[in-house]
Amino acid sequence: MIKALLARLKEGFRTGSFPATPPNLPPDFRGRPKLDFDTTAEDIDEMRKVCPVENALFYDEKGACLDMGRCIFCGRCARASKKVEFTKEYRLGVFKREDLLVRAGEKEYAPPIETQTEALALRGSLHLREVSAGGCAACELDANVLATPAWDMARFGIKFTASPRHADAVYLTGPVSKNMSLALEKTFQAMPEPRFLIVAGACAISGGLHELGSLPEKPSLYIPGCPPHPATVLEALLRFVGDRSYDKSR
Amino acid sequence: MTELFSYSSIDDALIKLDSLGGYKNPEKVVPLKGAAAHEVAVGPVHAGVIEPGHFRFQCMGEDVFNLQIFLGYQHRGVEEAIVKADGKISRQIALAETCAGDTSVAAATAFAEIMESAFPEKFASPDSSTLRVRSLMLELERIANHVGDLGALAGDVAFLQSAAFCGRIRGEYLNMTAMLCGNRFGRNAIEPGSSLVTIDETLSQQLKEDISRVRPELDRALKLMFHDHSVCDRFDGTGKVSKELAREIRLVGVARRASGDFNGDVMARALVRRVEINEAHDKILKILNGEVLEMPPQSENKIASRSDFTLVVSTVEAWRGPLVHAAIFSSEGKMEKYKIVDPSAHNWQALAWAMRGEQISNFPICNKSFNLSYCGTDR
Repeated sequence: MIKALLARLKEGFRTGSFPATPPNLPPDFRGRPKLDFDTTAEDIDEMRKVCPVENALFYDEKGACLDMGRCIFCGRCARASKKVEFTKEYRLGVFKREDLLVRAGEKEYAPPIETQTEALALRGSLHLREVSAGGCAACELDANVLATPAWDMARFGIKFTASPRHADAVYLTGPVSKNMSLALEKTFQAMPEPRFLIVAGACAISGGLHELGSLPEKPSLYIPGCPPHPATVLEALLRFVGDRSYDKSR
Repeated sequence: MTELFSYSSIDDALIKLDSLGGYKNPEKVVPLKGAAAHEVAVGPVHAGVIEPGHFRFQCMGEDVFNLQIFLGYQHRGVEEAIVKADGKISRQIALAETCAGDTSVAAATAFAEIMESAFPEKFASPDSSTLRVRSLMLELERIANHVGDLGALAGDVAFLQSAAFCGRIRGEYLNMTAMLCGNRFGRNAIEPGSSLVTIDETLSQQLKEDISRVRPELDRALKLMFHDHSVCDRFDGTGKVSKELAREIRLVGVARRASGDFNGDVMARALVRRVEINEAHDKILKILNGEVLEMPPQSENKIASRSDFTLVVSTVEAWRGPLVHAAIFSSEGKMEKYKIVDPSAHNWQALAWAMRGEQISNFPICNKSFNLSYCGTDR
């Protein structure tokens, strides 16, 4: 007992200061990509040659585009071409699929704050049911990290719950394999209304390296990454429910 | 030579699994009779934040008579996708890395070393600095996963202190991996013939500082847990897999070592992990201190050639055990077939055997002591 108390004392308080202060990101962290304003179709072709994902980069009538919903943030395009760079911007979560498209020459970026009205009611108490559907488990592992003392998302009332009956949203990871379609559908239907679908990781948003299966509903929150950094996930969830309680400036 | 590494041996293993009531025959449910007989079905969506799989416990009263494990929910065709992506290394390696997210470094290494063996004229044989990066990242992956699992084991017996400490410390090791390559799972660092990461003096110093800071904290967390009576009482003698059984069902990796040198229970598997954490630390420090200059490749590559086909097999000691990648190339160098055998594929049966005669309440610690990969097995 004494030993346990001493160990507890030595361990001390370990929860990071994020989100009140910016997260401690690794030097090579690859966040929101930025395309140069004069990115040509030829540049895009060059980048596509090394891009592991199909159609993450394309050129259409609106010009060059990088789809963050498909991107796995490997940084190979940035090594092949000078026209793209990955910034340290970690606030990647958006509420509309089209907001994941990064266009060439984009200037200032601010993450969207216009969330659904029903979602605002979940501020301070957001219960998630995780459904892993055909991914590689990295997204699940980094979602689990949020429950550790280092991130402690429970202080914002965000929790992963054991049953969909107690959940407000399904936190979906993986490209929805054929064998998980039914289980996902049933889990979603088991939630009381209003209910939401949150898709995390390239797989759940677009299939990523694979093909996307069928989703039970249109997602309300998209969190890109492969896997998304815990800071990205936590910031996106807080913004989704309109929680600014950590912001001392307000 | 070819026969030794042909698919027949993998199939043999699968047939063996089937004959033991394995996951390939889900319809083969053994009916139980009697007043105390009942079944408990769990999954595919579990209570925790983990991957999908279906477990069916056939119980007599409180005791588990048999556990059937049904996998396949995670199947997404990784092997086929790797063959289809032939010629595009970046896509192939990303697919290999995301076969099982917690084994990304080992998978990338296995894939890279297959390509290096198959196409020596195209990919340079990796130099010592490349091999050091691979080795270093592999050991960091090993520590992170073992720490996470030991913490989860503590959590499953309601010893929340070590669970909380280890959960935080695992993150420290993931962050060290991210320091090297920007990704917490060690992705996008390893490529055939080279490494996208170099360990310079500053980085090496930073890593050494991080390790000397975190290692005592980890020791403290583990000591607390292994010296606690209530924890030892739950671990000792639970989920036993005997040495003979381990040989019979061809157990590999951590679980096999626990059934050989130790007595094969949850405590044994926990202790093996603790020993491996220590050894991995020593190895990392040796690499960073430049004491190991000549590194052997991670995998033991085997090449078998006939006039028209070449088979390359590479085996990397991943954190769960030997991860085997195998590829068949035509004489024109086209990839014809790719196969991944995760160590978990051998060990799922052992979990079922470990549960025999146990109570369901011991399932979480039995399961976590193996912590097998669903996606690595389903591919």
